[in-house]
Amino acid sequence: MRKLFRRSFFKNIFNKLIGKNKKLKIGLYGHPNSGKTTLANTMTNDWIGKPLGLVSEIPHETRRVYRQEHVQIEYNGTELDFDIVDTPGIATKIDYKNFLEYGLSEEEAKERAKEATKGIIEAIKWLDDVTGVLLVVDATLDPLTQANITIMGNLEARKIPFVIVANKIDLPEASSERIVSVFPQHTVVPVSALHGENTADLYQAMVDKFN
Amino acid sequence: MDNTEPNALKMDFLSSDALRTRTSLEKISMIVDKVKDGDIVVIEGGLTPEEEAELIETTMREIDVENFMGIDIYTLEKDKSSFFGLSKKKTIGITIIGPANVMKTVKKRSNFLSMIANLGDSGASLH
Repeated sequence: MRKLFRRSFFKNIFNKLIGKNKKLKIGLYGHPNSGKTTLANTMTNDWIGKPLGLVSEIPHETRRVYRQEHVQIEYNGTELDFDIVDTPGIATKIDYKNFLEYGLSEEEAKERAKEATKGIIEAIKWLDDVTGVLLVVDATLDPLTQANITIMGNLEARKIPFVIVANKIDLPEASSERIVSVFPQHTVVPVSALHGENTADLYQAMVDKFN
Repeated sequence: MDNTEPNALKMDFLSSDALRTRTSLEKISMIVDKVKDGDIVVIEGGLTPEEEAELIETTMREIDVENFMGIDIYTLEKDKSSFFGLSKKKTIGITIIGPANVMKTVKKRSNFLSMIANLGDSGASLH
């Protein structure tokens, strides 16, 4: 019963999201390891019953853009269609030595660093193509970083609506209040993508912002 | 590093007038070239969001896993009055861009920025 309600709830939301017959491309942006892929997986699990990408503790696990195209939901005879774009984390620097801490060999670490640089370029290029963005911020860290400032500046300049997702609120050191206080002019939704906590509020914020 | 002294830190201060005549591409090329040489660039004012994105993109193309790991960027903002002083908005006062392996420790508050530059065995403190 609960599952049925949940499914119906999401269908309603996406009916609203796509209701205006426009192609929505929702990009997930943020720092490496902020939880973009975990959130993308939670979202695609909720909507189409399968995950989108591989999650790992190692930064820059997502080194190319993953796109779930044509997420289709049939609702009251109407077919809903939208894309989710999971992008690599944006950073201004990449030190291959950081990957050695996660047990990668030097060769693997260097290769990962090279791939990560390409992923960041790809993520920036996708800013031209998305129609809405979820900026995923790790609520345990200082949100006022150059990468976040650059992403938000570009979204504002391009008039792309966005929601700031204060992720990892399940961790004791998380502080979504700090994120709200730093970005008071923007919509901030605290969630735990890992545990699916508060995702209903996020979906509601997406309807309000992107519809 | 291109600096003549092995443990020297070169800082270039560029006025907004010096940058005004340059195109975005010229500005970004100049910044990345200097930072790749180990210099810290201090700019009066800031870059546009599009230029910041372009700077990150260019940096990613230039990263060489052995020698150049990227950049760090910090800005100090200031209040700017508008509408005859009735409202205030933040604008960027100065922007500091340097090699990520040199700009080690940065403490930032709204009107204060402190940085420790790492120059091999020695260190330089900038406030």
